[in-house]
Amino acid sequence: MLETARYEGRRRLRGAAILTAGVGAYAGFIVWYFTVLEGVDYEDVFRDLPPAMLEAFGIESLSTIEGFLGAQVFNFVWLLGLGLYFAYVAGGTVAGDIETERMELLLSFPVTRSRLLVEKSAALLVPMIAVNALGGPIIYLFVVAVGETVPLDHLLLAHLLSIPFLLVCAGVGLVFSVAVDRAAIAERAAVGTVFVLYLVESVVGGADAYDWIQYLSPTQYYEPTPILIEGSFEPIDSAILLVASLGLLILSQALFERRDI
Amino acid sequence: MSDETDQPLVVEGLTKEFGRVVANDDVSFAVDGGEVFGFLGPNGAGKSTTIRLLLGLLKPTSGTARVLGADIHDEAALTEAKRRIGYLPAHLGFDEEATGEAVLDYHGEMKGDRRREELLELFTPPIERPVREYSTGNKRMLGLVQAFMHDPDLVIMDEPTGGLDPLKQEAFNEFVREERDRGTTVFFSSHVLSEVRRVCDRVGILRAGSLVELENVEALLHRSGKHVRVHASDAAVAAIADLDGVVDPERFTEGVQFIYAGDVNALLRELATHDVRDVEIGEPPIEDVFAHYYGSEEAADESEGNGGGAEARNESDAAEEGSNA
Repeated sequence: MLETARYEGRRRLRGAAILTAGVGAYAGFIVWYFTVLEGVDYEDVFRDLPPAMLEAFGIESLSTIEGFLGAQVFNFVWLLGLGLYFAYVAGGTVAGDIETERMELLLSFPVTRSRLLVEKSAALLVPMIAVNALGGPIIYLFVVAVGETVPLDHLLLAHLLSIPFLLVCAGVGLVFSVAVDRAAIAERAAVGTVFVLYLVESVVGGADAYDWIQYLSPTQYYEPTPILIEGSFEPIDSAILLVASLGLLILSQALFERRDI
Repeated sequence: MSDETDQPLVVEGLTKEFGRVVANDDVSFAVDGGEVFGFLGPNGAGKSTTIRLLLGLLKPTSGTARVLGADIHDEAALTEAKRRIGYLPAHLGFDEEATGEAVLDYHGEMKGDRRREELLELFTPPIERPVREYSTGNKRMLGLVQAFMHDPDLVIMDEPTGGLDPLKQEAFNEFVREERDRGTTVFFSSHVLSEVRRVCDRVGILRAGSLVELENVEALLHRSGKHVRVHASDAAVAAIADLDGVVDPERFTEGVQFIYAGDVNALLRELATHDVRDVEIGEPPIEDVFAHYYGSEEAADESEGNGGGAEARNESDAAEEGSNA
């Protein structure tokens, strides 16, 4: 039981450590930068920017540490950076093994394809949980270190609610991963798709006639800045993300079942 | 269930098309329990396709196969059967970053590893080192260990000796014979006849996706004729080379050599009528047997013109009649 998830999870440990260290270092830089910029009237600086741009970067309230973190760390790293990262990594999971013919060995095991896929996908939880479970405390410590405070429950929520979002991004990668034979193609297609969805949500948000398009994007259902500032979120959004990630997993299983290796 | 033990591998009309390419065309054969079956054919004949079909990696276009009693269309049954199947793929895509030991640990967790230590004494990959540092031979040995470590009833191997040095190859041959004696059924593909000849009880020959021959090794050698080398005058050589059953006569300064697939007595009678300086009649080099099936262009044209396998089979039946007469 779960031998594959354990093995694949161990293979992800190093990547998870590097990812967490990188994200932590970037968060440290941003928190430090906040102290440098203190006293600058950000609202003034950004008043002239078009609303679409403010929307795109999630700029709401840069004069507070919560708002600054939301815009600079969560919107950039969690929503865009990690979204693309997990799409990319998931894109390589199956296609990479098919490309190196490792999949032949894996499928000679007494394990069904769908189970193998679920366990390989579950291993993606290792970096996903590491970057949140360790990234959160790192951010909090940095904030405390510069003499600021951020509500712990808001920070916790921002991390927790990012998981369903990241699962959807990984799900997009997984679908491409089982559909093609080459890792590079699956990875690029997955990253491209998640990036386009991110852009679509940002750009179309302002146009009333086509605003339904934004609901296609997973970024629509995870908004870290309001969570950090007010602790406000819609449970239905997370539910939608979880259902979507499950749907993508089931779709990947169906595609994987049918394909030739 | 008797079917399972008597014939661990039963292939029935297995066909696989990739677009317009027919990789396996109506392939049928059965492998008996406790025998070593060689699946022979040149590169590109479709051997790996058959093997991938048997393991459920590919879905057949039509036909089916039963592996240890499990229908390859039935994923649940085939998955259960895989507990007792060992597989050595042609290309070993191990996790490059892991050590050989970590790879074997994982394989052991998935399917069992009661024979691991014993096998590591015979095949000696440097298991403490990461796989990316392995030579082809070391990877092959790691592959052999994982294929046999759970003491499977049926082992399927795709070109198992590629990359092994001659000593390890001999160890492998010996090992396969011992496994057979323990009751393990071994099915392996190869494009090297000499290897097959040393260890196999029976062989199936695959050509352009069709099974053209299914025989025990001795019969294969028998029906493939004799290698004859005659030293004689030019006139005598011309008469001898015209004999029925002479294949690929090759003249040299003092005589001629050829493969003789006809009646041996007829050959001897013909030889007796000439002034022969020297004659050698022996078992043909294994490569010539191979050439007999694959090398001759007329045979290839003929079989393509007449719909593949059936024609080639008739041709070999004719050879059999000749050599049995």
